[in-house]
Order: sequence, then C-alpha cells, then structure tokens
Amino acid sequence: MGDTELELSPAQLEELQKSPSASSTSSTSSLSLPSSPSSGPRPLTSSSPSTSESLPTSSPPLDVISEGVGELSLVIDTEVAKKACQEVLQKVKFLKADGEVSSASSEPVLVNGTAHPESTDGGKPPKISQEEAELVKNVRRRQKNNSSKQSWLLRLFESKLFDISMAISYLYNSKEPGVQAYIGNRLFSFRNEDVDFYLPQLLNMYIHMDEDVGDAIKPYVVYRCRQSINFSLQCAWLLGAYSSDMHISTQRHSRGTKLRKLILSDELKPSSQRIRREVPQPPPSCPPPFHHGQGMSEHSLSPSKRTHQRSKSDATVSISLSSNLKRTASNPKVETSQDEDLSSSSDSLELEAGTPVRLTPQREFIKSLMGIGKRLATLPTKEQKTQRLISELSLLNHKLPARVWLPTAAFDHHVVRVPHTQAVVLNSKDKAPYLIYVEVLECENFETSSVPVRIPETRIRSTRSVENLPDCGITPDQRASSFSTVPNYDNDDEAWSVDDIGELQVELPEIHTNSYDNISQFSVDSITSQESKEPIFIAAGDIRRRLSEQLAHTPTTFRRDPEDPSAVALKEPWQEKVRRIREGSPYGHLPNWRLLSVIVKCGDDLRQELLAYQVLKQLQIIWEQERVPLWIKPYKILVISSDSGMIEPVVNAVSIHQVKKQSQLLLLDYFRQEHGNYNTEEFLTAQRNFVQSCAGYCLICYLLQVKDRHNGNILLDSEGHIIHIDFGFILSSSPRNLGFETSAFKLTSEFVDVMGGLDGDMFNYYKMLMLQGLIAARKHMEKVIQIVEIMQQGSQLPCFHGSSTIRNLKERFHMNLTEEQLQVLVEQMVDGSMRSITTKLYDGFQYLTNGIM
Amino acid sequence: MAQPEKKAGLLKRTSSSKKPLKEKVLLMYEQIFTKEDPSKSNPRFWDELFLMKVNLEYLEGKLESLDGDEVMKVKDNINSLFQHCVQALAEEHQIRVVNALQTLCALFRGVHQKNRSATGFDIINMLMGFDKAELRMKELMESLDALLCGDGSQSLKSLCLKLLLCLVTVTDNISQNTILEYVMINSIFEAILQILSDVSSRAQHGYDAVVLLALLVNYRKYESVNPYIVKLSIVDDEPTLDGMGMVIHHALTEYNRQYRDKEEENQGGFFSTLTSMVGSMFIADADEKLSVQTNEAILLALYEAVHLNRNFITVLAQSHPEMDMAAAPAVPVPSSPATPLGTTPPSLDLMNNPELPLDPNLQTSNLLITFLKYSSIVMQDTKDEHRLNSARLCLIILTCIAEDQYADAFLHDDNMNFRVNLHRMPMRHRKKAVDKNIPSRPLVCAVLDLMVEFIITHMMKEFPMDLYVRCIQIIHKLICYQKKCRVRMHYTWRELWSALINLLKFLLSNETILLSKHNIFQLALQVVNLFNMFITYGDTFLPTPSSYDELYYEIIRMHQVFDNLYCMVLRVSTNAGPWKEPASKVTHALVNVRAIINHFNPKIESYAAVNHISQLSEDQVLEVVRSNYDTLTLKLQDALDQFERYSEQPREAGFFKELVRSISLNVRKNVSLSTMSQDVLLKEFSSIS
Repeated sequence: MGDTELELSPAQLEELQKSPSASSTSSTSSLSLPSSPSSGPRPLTSSSPSTSESLPTSSPPLDVISEGVGELSLVIDTEVAKKACQEVLQKVKFLKADGEVSSASSEPVLVNGTAHPESTDGGKPPKISQEEAELVKNVRRRQKNNSSKQSWLLRLFESKLFDISMAISYLYNSKEPGVQAYIGNRLFSFRNEDVDFYLPQLLNMYIHMDEDVGDAIKPYVVYRCRQSINFSLQCAWLLGAYSSDMHISTQRHSRGTKLRKLILSDELKPSSQRIRREVPQPPPSCPPPFHHGQGMSEHSLSPSKRTHQRSKSDATVSISLSSNLKRTASNPKVETSQDEDLSSSSDSLELEAGTPVRLTPQREFIKSLMGIGKRLATLPTKEQKTQRLISELSLLNHKLPARVWLPTAAFDHHVVRVPHTQAVVLNSKDKAPYLIYVEVLECENFETSSVPVRIPETRIRSTRSVENLPDCGITPDQRASSFSTVPNYDNDDEAWSVDDIGELQVELPEIHTNSYDNISQFSVDSITSQESKEPIFIAAGDIRRRLSEQLAHTPTTFRRDPEDPSAVALKEPWQEKVRRIREGSPYGHLPNWRLLSVIVKCGDDLRQELLAYQVLKQLQIIWEQERVPLWIKPYKILVISSDSGMIEPVVNAVSIHQVKKQSQLLLLDYFRQEHGNYNTEEFLTAQRNFVQSCAGYCLICYLLQVKDRHNGNILLDSEGHIIHIDFGFILSSSPRNLGFETSAFKLTSEFVDVMGGLDGDMFNYYKMLMLQGLIAARKHMEKVIQIVEIMQQGSQLPCFHGSSTIRNLKERFHMNLTEEQLQVLVEQMVDGSMRSITTKLYDGFQYLTNGIM
Repeated sequence: MAQPEKKAGLLKRTSSSKKPLKEKVLLMYEQIFTKEDPSKSNPRFWDELFLMKVNLEYLEGKLESLDGDEVMKVKDNINSLFQHCVQALAEEHQIRVVNALQTLCALFRGVHQKNRSATGFDIINMLMGFDKAELRMKELMESLDALLCGDGSQSLKSLCLKLLLCLVTVTDNISQNTILEYVMINSIFEAILQILSDVSSRAQHGYDAVVLLALLVNYRKYESVNPYIVKLSIVDDEPTLDGMGMVIHHALTEYNRQYRDKEEENQGGFFSTLTSMVGSMFIADADEKLSVQTNEAILLALYEAVHLNRNFITVLAQSHPEMDMAAAPAVPVPSSPATPLGTTPPSLDLMNNPELPLDPNLQTSNLLITFLKYSSIVMQDTKDEHRLNSARLCLIILTCIAEDQYADAFLHDDNMNFRVNLHRMPMRHRKKAVDKNIPSRPLVCAVLDLMVEFIITHMMKEFPMDLYVRCIQIIHKLICYQKKCRVRMHYTWRELWSALINLLKFLLSNETILLSKHNIFQLALQVVNLFNMFITYGDTFLPTPSSYDELYYEIIRMHQVFDNLYCMVLRVSTNAGPWKEPASKVTHALVNVRAIINHFNPKIESYAAVNHISQLSEDQVLEVVRSNYDTLTLKLQDALDQFERYSEQPREAGFFKELVRSISLNVRKNVSLSTMSQDVLLKEFSSIS
C-alpha cells in the first residue's frame, strides 16, 4: 500500500496540510478539558497535552473560557490549534520514521504526516507520553483489521471518480472513524459549490450522528466559516433549524447548538488576519487597548455607540444595520463633534475587519424582514397587510445601502434599495408570506468591496450638503459673496434627469439671491400665439382609436384584486418590471444595478422545501447528464430557522388558479390567447415546453409523493412551462389524511388538452419522456436516496413520518423491473391519474374550502 | 406697575407674594434701574441676582415704563445685565441658567414693547451697546446652541427654544427685527436639526423647533440672503427630515382629531340635535361651534419644507400609523401647559414610539394623507380671514406638490393605495358619505376628490377667485403629469367634468356681480382648457375608450352652458373694454367644444327622429357618439400641456408677509416662559446641583 502515498497529488497534500485537520481540534480540546468525555479514544486525539500546554500563547484565553464549554474554547485560537496540529503531525511522522508503522497503515492522516519531511530538520523527536502511545497503538490495531477492505476503499477515494456525492455517502455509511476523518479532510479538495450543495446533509450529520462524524466535518466547516460570512450564516441558520427537533434539554448542550453559538459569536474571523496579527488576543476580561489593530474587539466596546445612537431615526431603533454610521450628512454638528470617535471606530473597522461586526448587518437585515412578516400576520385583511408591508419596507429603506445581500442570489452584491411600493403580500390563509423586489449593485466581493453610497430618492447628490455650506459664523457682507461663489457642483449629468433641471432652482444658491423660484418656463397664454400659425387639424376618431389601440396593445395584464394583490405583480413580465423599477430608482443609472426578488416566509418550515429542492436539483442534474429533455425548475430555498426562511421566486410565472380566475378561460384557450393559434411557432414551442415540464413534474410528484396539488400550487410561466411549488406534503405526509389524491400525480384533462389530446403525438412524447426520465433516475437512484436518507436523521419532519419512508422511496424507483415493464408502469400511472376522480374531487374540495379554482 | 400682583399676567403663581414686603429680587432690579453700577456697592451683585427667582412682570414693566432719557441713563446697567445674563448661560449651576434665560426674555420683550417706534439699532444699542452687540450676540447664540445640543436638562432646552421664539416674534414684522441679523450670522439651524433628528428631543421640543425654523426662514426672505433658507433647502439627512415631517404630521393629526371630536359632539343623539335646532333659530351660524382654530404656523413650516427642500417630498409619502384613532393617554407634560388651541404642542407620546404600533385597527397613514384631510376641513369654511389664509396656503402647498415629479410618481403609484376620509361639508342636498365605503385608491384620487369638493362647495357671493384659480391649476398640473407619463387613472372623471361645467354655469349666471371684482375670463379659460386637454389628449391618460365617449356625452348633455359661455365671451370680446382681450381668448379656446356640440347635436336629433324617440337614453347617445367620431375634425391647440411654474416671488410675497405677521402675533401671544413653574425646575435641578 506504500505507493498509495505517492498517488496523492501535491495539491491535495497541500490542502491537507493547510487544513486544521481533525487532530488540531482535538489537541486543544484535550488540553482544556483533559478528562472530558469528548476526548475519548479517537484515532487522532493522541496529541500530547504536555507539549501543547507549553505553548505560551494559548493559555490566557483558555483560562477564562474553560467553563465546560469545551467546544467553544477549542476553536477560539486557530493559530494555537494549527501549531498544535503541526506538532502532532510531526510526531506522528517521527513515529513512522522509527519504522513502527507497517505498510498496511493506510490511515490517511498518517500518510499526510509523511508528506512534509522538510519540517523534520531542526526539530528533535519529542517525547511521547505513554498514554498517547498506547492510543496510537490501539488505533493501528484496528486499522490492521480493516486493512484489506480499506485499501480498496482508499483506491476508490483516490480515484478521479470519487466525487462529493460519494464522499457524503461514505461519510454517512462508514462506521470507521479513520474513513470519516479521511473524508473530512477530503472535503477540502472539492469545489466549494459542490460541497455547498450537500451542506444540509453535512450539518445534519454533524448534529445528529456520532462524534466521529462530527469531528471529521467540523474542521472543514470552521475553515469555510472563516473564509465566508455567507457560509457562516448559512451554517448557523441550518444548524439552528436542524437542531430544533431535538428535545430542548439536549438541544442546549448539543454540538450543533455549540457550533452555532461559536459561529454567531463571530469568533471565526478570517484566519489570515489572525496570523498577520502577531499579538495574542488578550483575555476578554480586560479591556482591549485602543490601537487600530483592534478591529475585532467586541462591538459592545466600540466607541461608536454614541454616534450610532445619534444617527438613529425611529426606524433605526428597531432595525439598526451597523454599516450606515457614516450617513449622518447635513448635520454638521454631528460630523464635527464626533468626528474623531467616528473615524476611530467605523473607519478603522471598515479597513481592518471588513465590517464593524462581520455578521451583524446581514443578521439584522434578515431579522427585520422576518419581523415584518410576523407583524403582518397579525393584520386581518390583505389590504391592511399590503399597506403595512409597504410602510415597513419604506422604513427599512432608510438603512440601505448596507453590507447586506440576498443569500439566494448567484452573484456577490450589496442591497441598495427595496422598491417598497412593488412589494406584495402573497396568498396564504393565516401566515403572511410576502414577495419583495430588491435592488442590488453587483460587486466583486460583498465582504471586501465598499458599500455603495446612498443616493436619496429624489436623486439629489447627498454628498454636497455639508461640505459646500459656508461656515455659520460669517458676517452679512461675507455671506452674500460666499454664497455666490459656491462652486458648481460636480457635473454628473447622469444623476440628473432632464426634467429635474428646471427644479434645481432651490439647489443653486446663486439664483436664490434674487428670486430663487422665478423660473416660469411656459405660459398658458401662449395659446393665442397660435392664431398666426397654420392651424393643425386632427380627427376625433383618431384620438378615440389610439386610445382603444393603446389599451389593446398593452400586454395582457391581470386586474387588480385587493384579495389577490400578487396576481398583478407576478403577471407583469420580469423584463418589463426590471425596466420599470430601474427607471424609477435613483440607482438605476449604475451599470452594475440588478433587480432580485425574494419571498420571505415567516411561520413556515422550509426544511422540507429545501429537501425537495435538493432532490429536484439532483434529478435535474441526472437528467441533464443522461440527456433526457425533461424540464423542471428547482427554486432556491434558504432555511433560516425551523419556522422561517426565504424562497427565490420563479419569475414570469403565475399560478394556474390565478390564470383561470383572471382569464376565465380553459387552459388550452389561455395558451392560444397568450401564444397564438395552434400551428404557430410560438404555440408549438409553448406546447413542447408544457409537455417537457409536465413530464418532469409528474415524475417528481410520483417519486416524492408530492401532495396538495391544487391549482394554486402549480405555476405556469410565460413560456408555457408548468412549475410545481409548495412541497409541504411529500414522502410520508399528506394533507389532513382525507384520502384524496391517491393517483400517482396530477394530470387533468385540461392538461391533456394542452398537450393536444390523448391521441396526439405530444401526448405520446410526454409518456416517452416520463419513461426515459424514470430510467435515468433509476440509474442514479443512490444519489437521490442519499439526500433524503441523511436528512431523516434526527428529524421530526412530517415527510419522514413512519418507518418506511426510505424503503417506499426506493421502491418507487422499481429497480427490479425491465424497461418494458417500466413502460407498462408509466402507461398505468398516466391512465390512473387521468381517470382518477380524486384529482377532480380534490380540486373541487379546494374550490369549496379555499376558493382555489 | 411696580407691584407684580396687579398684573395678572401669564404667571400663575400661588406663591405668597402678597406680602407687603418687597422681594429681594425686586430690590435688586431697582438697583439696576439706577445710574449707579450695582456691583460697586455689592461686588457679588450679579452672582446673587441669578440665584433669585425671576420676576418677569416687574422687569418687563420696568423696561416698558422707561422713556427715552431714562433709558440712556440706565443703559450701562442694562448692557451689564445683558452681558451677565449671557455669561450666566455658560455656568454649571442650572438655576442660574434658567434665571438668565428668563431674564433675557424679559429684556427682549420689555425693550420692544415700549419702543415700537424705535429703530432696531436703538434697541440693540440699549440692550447690548453697539460696540459690544456683535460679540454679545455671538456668545448668546453659542451658549444657546450648546444648551440645545448638549446632554443637559430637557426643561432647559425647552426654555432656550422659548427664548428664541420670544426673540423672533418681538416685532410684528419679523423682517424689522434687527437683532435677528445676528441670529442669521450665528446660525442655530444645526441645533434645530439636531432636535428634530433625535427621537426623544423631537417629541418634547419638535413643535417649537419647527415653528422657530419656519419663522426664521421668513426673515427678510425677499430682500437678502437668508442662510436658513439656503440650509433648509439642502438638508438631505433622512432622519432629520422625517423628524420634521413627524412633528408636522402630528400637529395636523391633532387638529383633525379635535375637529372630529367637536363634530361628533355636535351630532350626538336626538336631544342634542333638537337643542341645536332650537339653538340655531337664535344663533345665526351654528357652524361657529365647529371651528377649531387653525394652525398656520405648522402649515407654514410644511410649506417651507415642501417648497424649499426637494428631499422633503419623500417624507410626505413616508408611512406612519394613523394616529387619529389611538386615543393618546393624556399625560400632562410639565413643560407643555394648556395653552389655547392652535398653538398647543400636541401630545407627542406616539412620536416617542419608534416602532409602528401593532394595532390591526390602525390604518397606515402618511403626512400627505393627514394634510389632505386637514385641507378638507380647512377648506370647508373660508369665511373668516384665518381660514381663508389657511385654505390658500393649503392650495399653495398642493400646487408645489403637484409640480414635483417625485411626488407625482407616488401620488399615481398603483401599488400605494389608501382610503382617505376627506371631510365633506354637510349640505342639504346630499347625505354625508359613509366613511367605510371609500375605496382604497392611489392618492391622486384623493387630491382630485378634494379639488372637486372645493369646486362644488364654494360657488358663493364672496367668490374666492384666487382659490379657484389655484384649484384648477392643481388639477391641470396633475393631468399634465398623467399625459406625459401615460398614467391611466381609474378615476371617476365624470364628477370632475360635471363640477367644472357647473362652475362655468355659476360664472355665467353671476357675471355682472363677479366681473366687478374679478377677471372671470381667466378662470373660464382655465376650465375650458382642461376640457381641451381631455378632448385632444384623452388617448394618453383616460382609462378606457368608453370614458372618452362619456366626455363627449357630458359636453353634449350640458351644451347649453357652453353655448351661453360662447355667447357671453363673444359679446364681451366684440365690445371694446378691459375684458376684450381675455374674453377673446376664451372664444378661441372654445373652438373644439363647439365643434363637438355642433357635430353631434344634429346627429342625435336625426337619430331620435328616425327612431321616433323623444328622449334618448344615455346608451343611445353614446351609440351615436361612437358611430360619428370619424367625421369630426378637431383643432390641435398649442401648449395645453404646459403650465406656469409656481413662484413665490413676487406674486405671493404679500400674502406670506401678512401670514408671517399673523403667525408672529399668535406665537408671541402664546409663548410663555413663566408657565414653566419654578417649582418644577427646582425639583428637577435640586438633584443635579
């Protein structure tokens, strides 16, 4: 097995060295709490406490924090951890150099240990304590037993085929700590995006599985948290959400909760900074000295507190996003009197640590969005909710731009404005989910790029107010002159719309000396001047015709319905909306301006939605890989807690319920209205889109047993695709056990009509697509099952109710059937669904109870 | 005069000053009003003076009673008193500061009351001495600024503002108050802003601060550069502007609430209806009871903010919870005594609350809605001078709003719908609209409703011509925006059309009376041009094709009014006279309306004849209209969609001068330093000092 060592690529080796591997964490933990049960017989806990303790830097913080919070203390100083880790590695390597280690030792970390012989010189082989040596022996004994099996495993692990999906699978299935630890290290070598997809699985394993798995995962998580605020917050949110099913007493002390606390305490700063800063962090009990490297001291000590208070408006009290300290503008008193404070606090913070407090702005932003949702839920009518939403958002706007972003977006950005009047409350009986549009400015990196400056709504440049004001204490004769010499403001034409220029009189003090509002451009009287000119005649009929034509030519919009405010907003084509909002925005002229939208859900558990998203995404990847042209649209889910989160809305789509209610047409007729007549290119494209999406979602509905499929939960986009939303009832759960919806999926005759009827080619195409899709999915069943299975750990979610969830899921892939048998199965399912009166019954039931058509 | 007991004054002290013995402070005052330097006999004289409770009446009375010669004799001592007052402001001892502030107030007032005729320079000389004036005022303003911005007691801040209000209003005409020149040089603008930006200080002093700012902005507005105007125009700090908006919003809301309470009082039950019926037999105007005194000061502040500061427009749309309904607990704040209505700083409890309260019964409101409601009340009755001025100012503010692009944008925003309960004058021929029925609509509908309401309720002998002109201008400006931006409001335009036609009718039937006072042709021209807007540009802003048909229907239905108008203006324009020119403009403007009438009337008659119907139904007429558009040719008129921008100078200058004068009088009357009872202050400061 010796040559496996050589197969390790240099990059991997580097990764492994860099990573604060499992050994690093355990070394410190054993140091702070030598007798704690957490430092049990793990293969690599075997670092020597004596050596680590002799590190001078580490002792002060540990003295203070060692209140049984082992987990918390152990990651506090990575520098120490790293050193300790290296020492351990060295030691292990020396051990190996002594020839003790047999060729069978495939323990990856040991392999790793040999990987840097250059560090051996100079260092004397340290004495290894008895206890430790014994531990090491123990481990080896175990490894020897498994050696033959593991050698194959290792070969697999080293191969190029070994991807993140397999890594997760082995992490979950292997009971072998060595394997787990290896995979923990291997995580560093995958692309961030790939691992991020499995983040819910990783964290759920961390929370609910045994300690070995946790220890394997933790270094990676900590490492990523240090790198990214976004990752930190995602982890914290997910950890909170997936811990919530535990009993409250165990939850408080669970590793998940501790890790969450650690992340939220914002101890996980980028490690590079710590290294750069050689000064060891003083114990938190003594106040930090005020040199400017002190950027990350606790914000409670920040001298900016007073300034902060001052710049607060009423709204800030409730929502204080800390990065708007500088926006006190126009009140020179504030600026001058507290200038020093301000620069020493906010400025240095900006420079040193990226943000004053790394996670705070974003957390506050999310918190205020959730707060709005909670308050909306108390209001009785849609109208009141909408009004309230708009006013709340307008207050929120005061705090923007800030170093906040939408986690559902695919690019880095800063949120600059929420066009509050565009927000709508979505249809829901007792909760108040709402949809907001968010204007953002794309940037390189939201952690390091500077936050955009605020531009007031009325598009006046805010910067000039204070600077250009002459001093207060000038004599009257000075006054006149100094005002007239106020330099012309920056010639930033793009900021002014043509129309504004006439209104500038107030802005320009020069004009003001005489009469600042004396510009009358037009006169009603000019009507008489026309008599001399040739009169122009127009036909009344033309005016009337233009009026009806213009009204006819506007794209089909929905009527405004106070009971369904979202219908109009969602029907408006996205591009149209973007253009409109951009025009009305003071930031619209900036080239990196983007519009995003997000649904804020408060009071809803989005964990199942997230699970569904993962499965959909996985199936989408599988189908793409297998070249099956099925179309589905997984939409991003952000779980914030077990009862709140955000959803990325599907743009250009309205629910079939809204379509039918507003248009009062059959679906097929609506297609013709929107896309043209049967044989037009547009109609055929829309029809094909419909078929491909329908087949995709039928398979999804079948595999995941998606229930509650009424027309309010099925969207239709402007290209003809259908999109299923709301995965509240999947797998083992169904609504209220009414026994409805027994069919495999929802296929109404209206749908079939759009496909061109039962005998049409498109309908056959539909069935063929389903078959191909099922075959492809079956081929990669493990990837799908694994996503679900891991999330079942420790979960109380209704979709995992009962014991046979996974088994049933597996059965629905029908591994034992031949392709011919599968084809029969598909036929049967389609037939069954179409004939199923339960679908119709369920729609009728929904119509009666919820008014959904 | 020397006895304070004789003057009831504003001081409500129950102290036992009835003793025959003179208070020590009076003796000390008397020492000041001699030629001798009081500190000669007692080196600690000034130290002691500011430990004494101030006797405002005595001091003011004494200053008032001095005649020219005596003044010159005691000038040095008064100068000295002023100087020591200013010095005392900087002291740690708060009692001294309070006493110094009150003494200063008495000085300003006393000097002015007597010397109305004296020039400002004499007064300055008398108070401070020419050579020292600049220095003294600089010190004074700096001290006030420090007190207002510092962390000190709220009562002290309140006193500072009162002193400033006192100083600003000592003369009837603010521009003749020469001392204010020093307030211009030593700006306290920033201190005012700071008060407005801070939540707690805004709640307590916001009202005074806003009024003070409004007055300062009007100092020599047209003659010189007023730094307050310049500074106010460029404020862009949102919390501050919001704070100002909140204060105004609150004051207006308070007024609306008081009005509604009175209204409900008047409508309570059968018995009260009966008594009021009986009562109204004897009392000429029962409406008297309904009039709550208007608050022009706060309206002026709103005007200046809207007019001068572009950023303030956003504040108008800033949502607040509706505060009418929340019965604010009446906790008497010691610093705000019960002064007469109109200048009472409203109880600002709700403004303290940073979060919007969570009451499902509360409708969200904003400053604009509150202002519209306020306007609807004020415009109901324009008989007395104050209300006429208030109504005029309301219309001016609306004019400024209608001209602003951003304001127009949110007025027409389809997503911002509100129910606005405008107050409607009770009239015999219509029932009071039930409040709940008002649909939630974009705000521009409320503005148009208000304008329509005004048009139909003010056709009276005392014709408020200029208000009508403003009103039509506002409608015109809104329609110009709609045309330009192609906004199609689902508004019941018909109500507007019929109101406008009725207005024309009124002008016609009262031609002779009105012509003696007003140029009715200007108004008629505006109205006709509004119709021209609809006729020629209707395709750009009308909501449906059928609304265009309805326009024609309305014109045809009321064709007699247009016919008569045409006859009248033709007659006037053919006669030589002062109205020849304006009347001929109206004849030209009428060309399209007449074309419509002349085109469709014969068609309708023949339709009736063919079908043997005597009276055509509306649908039948509309049918005729629809089928006969194509043979009608209209003349395109120029510049229909252009308007004269609002400008304060020179047209409105006179109005504002008078308005500021009346506000000054009112504020002066109601500002009272002495109401801040010494006991309260003592209690507050005993712990501090």
